[in-house]
Amino acid sequence: MALTGRAGLVAAIGIVVVLLAPQPGAALAGVCLLLAAAILVDLVFAGAVRPLRFHRSGDTLIRLGQRATVELIVENPGSRRVRGRLRDAWQPSAGAGPRVAELDVPGGERRRIIMTLDPTRRGDRSSVAVTVRSVGPLGLAARQGDHQAPWSVRVLPPFLSRKHLPSRLARLRELDGQHPALVRGQGTEFDSLREYVVGDDVRSIDWRATARRHDVVVRTWRPERDRRVLIVLDTGRTSAGRVGDAPIPMAGATPGGGGLLAGPDSRPAPGWPRLDWSMDAALLLAALAARAGDQVDFLAYDRAVRAWVGGASRTELLSSLVNVMAPIEAELIEADSQGMVAAILARAKRRCLVVLLTDLNPAALEEGLMPVLPQLSSRHLVLVAGVSDPRVAAMAGRRGSAEKVYDAAAAEHAQLGRRRITTRLRRHGVEVVDAPPEEIAPALADAYLALKAAGRL
Amino acid sequence: MSLVTPPSAPPASRPTSPTVRSTWRAWRMVALIGVVTVLVSVIALLVRPGGGPSRPLDPDDTTLAGSKALAELLRARGVTVDRVDSVQAAADKASTGHRLLLITDTTYFNEFRLSTIPGDRLIVGNVFGLRALAPGLRRVPEPARTRLRDPECGLPAATAAGSAYMGGMAFRGPPGATGCYPAGDGHTLISFPNAGGTTTVVGDGSFLTNQRLAEDGNAALAINLIGTGRPVTWLVRPDNPPQGESALGESRRSMYDLMPAGIAWALYMSVIALVLTAFWRGRRLGPVVTEKLPVVVRAAETVEGRGRLYRARRARQRAADSLRAGTIDRLTPRLGLGSGAGAHEVVAALAARTGQDPQQVGAALYGAPPVDDAGLVGLAGYLDFIERQVSEL
Repeated sequence: MALTGRAGLVAAIGIVVVLLAPQPGAALAGVCLLLAAAILVDLVFAGAVRPLRFHRSGDTLIRLGQRATVELIVENPGSRRVRGRLRDAWQPSAGAGPRVAELDVPGGERRRIIMTLDPTRRGDRSSVAVTVRSVGPLGLAARQGDHQAPWSVRVLPPFLSRKHLPSRLARLRELDGQHPALVRGQGTEFDSLREYVVGDDVRSIDWRATARRHDVVVRTWRPERDRRVLIVLDTGRTSAGRVGDAPIPMAGATPGGGGLLAGPDSRPAPGWPRLDWSMDAALLLAALAARAGDQVDFLAYDRAVRAWVGGASRTELLSSLVNVMAPIEAELIEADSQGMVAAILARAKRRCLVVLLTDLNPAALEEGLMPVLPQLSSRHLVLVAGVSDPRVAAMAGRRGSAEKVYDAAAAEHAQLGRRRITTRLRRHGVEVVDAPPEEIAPALADAYLALKAAGRL
Repeated sequence: MSLVTPPSAPPASRPTSPTVRSTWRAWRMVALIGVVTVLVSVIALLVRPGGGPSRPLDPDDTTLAGSKALAELLRARGVTVDRVDSVQAAADKASTGHRLLLITDTTYFNEFRLSTIPGDRLIVGNVFGLRALAPGLRRVPEPARTRLRDPECGLPAATAAGSAYMGGMAFRGPPGATGCYPAGDGHTLISFPNAGGTTTVVGDGSFLTNQRLAEDGNAALAINLIGTGRPVTWLVRPDNPPQGESALGESRRSMYDLMPAGIAWALYMSVIALVLTAFWRGRRLGPVVTEKLPVVVRAAETVEGRGRLYRARRARQRAADSLRAGTIDRLTPRLGLGSGAGAHEVVAALAARTGQDPQQVGAALYGAPPVDDAGLVGLAGYLDFIERQVSEL
């Protein structure tokens, strides 16, 4: 049960009545009895909440930054009208609205309530409970009850780097059969024979074929296809660090989201986790590689396999990727590089391009990846991509006071460590992409295209 | 909201709130225990002997501080004991014949009216208005410890009783008075003839209480003093002492007496209204929903922390080393040198490229750490300057 503000108001009027009555004791007893009787009447005659039935329909899959709509249909099988308020309780980061809806369902009828969801982070958001408060005819007291009407909306990563895809596809087409190359070399395979036209390189004339036919025939070449790309996402502690500016405000990304600790001199918004930037880059790379005719697999790993997409067809690749990526969060544990390499070697039997999306953190890489890297680089081509922090770069340029110079020295130290580990990785024959958050996705795509053009896949 | 056509999907919802029956089932043991507790308390209150606070030296009081035992002893010996709680009642009793007036408390009585009552008097303890009730009696300033004392006097009532639990206050009597149970300069029992009878004053009433009566000669002394055959008028503190009025009848009415009676009831009503309002505001519409949120930590925090450590320890050498290493790392490829280039090669190439003094460049890149913060700021500025020179040329 629940009371309304009207009950309190009636009791407040009772104060005046008791104050002015000639027999205050009797007046108090009278007011209390009357109020109790009215509340009892309200409770008895309020529409029953327990027999209500709920049905849902609407979106189950949206991208972060989009708005989901979920319909909640309230069915009242009883004979009495259910009038009052309804709360559909979602998890806070689902951004569900309205928080409380007015409800008026006559007996035997249904009403529809439309909930809008503006999620503030990736993952599965679900409704926990539906609570109805049914107010009695006098409006003094209400019956209240919870129902479970489960519904879940999966919020996918936004894939903001989609905007870079057309330009990279154009570059790919230049490499690809649309512009057949006449020069043979590394990274190309025989495509077809065609008639010689003036301007073709005479070195590409296929004399054998020319001899069989009456025309002069040249060979054309195209970039190699059907290579394998394995994208590995490191979900360990280093991927939790937030960098850059959040393109879509995430839960906890705004300074106000910090709760009690957010003071007036709150620091700048912490941006997106490295993990999300890495996902964005992985999606662009996967889309590009799938168009280029390569087989793309995906592995997320910290101390165990968090997600695995293997052997997906080209049409289904992106949707299955965003689906497995959606619930992945950074785990606050040190990633197990040895286990990661073992998992990669177990899954990639043939030579492939292993794209490792991690942080170029000297300490973490020194102890984790470096000792086991030769196992990987001897069998596969390895590309390590790391999201750099633009804030550190800004700190390195600070001058003017001793405090700022100390900060600059610390930033310089961090950058130096990053450059040194990059050099060491390159010495092992590993490709390295180190770019700020907004540029990591196109930089990774460019690195892939460069490798493809060079025929190193 | 709008009317919709019934969908064919089966209802997937189910109520999760407890029903009235299940709530009763869950809480009935608690309710039972509560009811039993209340019942036991009520019965205990009803059964409890006496009730209310103890009234010291009251002939009807059965607590340790009361004197019902003595009153019963006296009645068993055929002595009439009349308990009165006002001067008027005592005066009425006194008019019936020669009686003993036992005074235990005068806080609420007029001692001058009291002193006009004829007959024998036994004054117990240091009562208010002793000067009027026992004229000629003087108090010894030092209080006497209440303990077992010997009579050491010729008063038959005391010598027959022997040692008794006396003390409290010692007195010196007027000429002709008999003092017993000495303490210090005075006596704790003084008996002297007064107008219309004998006045006896004792310093403390402990020997009359239920607690002490059975000890030593206490009972004997009490009976010898009180139970000599005369009827006893036992004056006690009034059962319902007049509130806000002293014994002299001064009118002192409190704020609460001046308020209309309705105010108190309205106050109760406002408490009820407050409780109802609190219940209205406090009842949540549905559960509190919790969620596991990802950690919010900026990646640059470790770098900022290192900067603050440098600052806190004034680590100029480390800071300078970092800045120099960064500059050299950026400059060597621009100068066309390999990563393994030595200090001399770098300085020479840099001096040739920028036209700066080789010694100055060498000191900036490989020299001693700056001695103060200003030196560090200057070094950072100079390194920037060299880098700019190289990139612009």
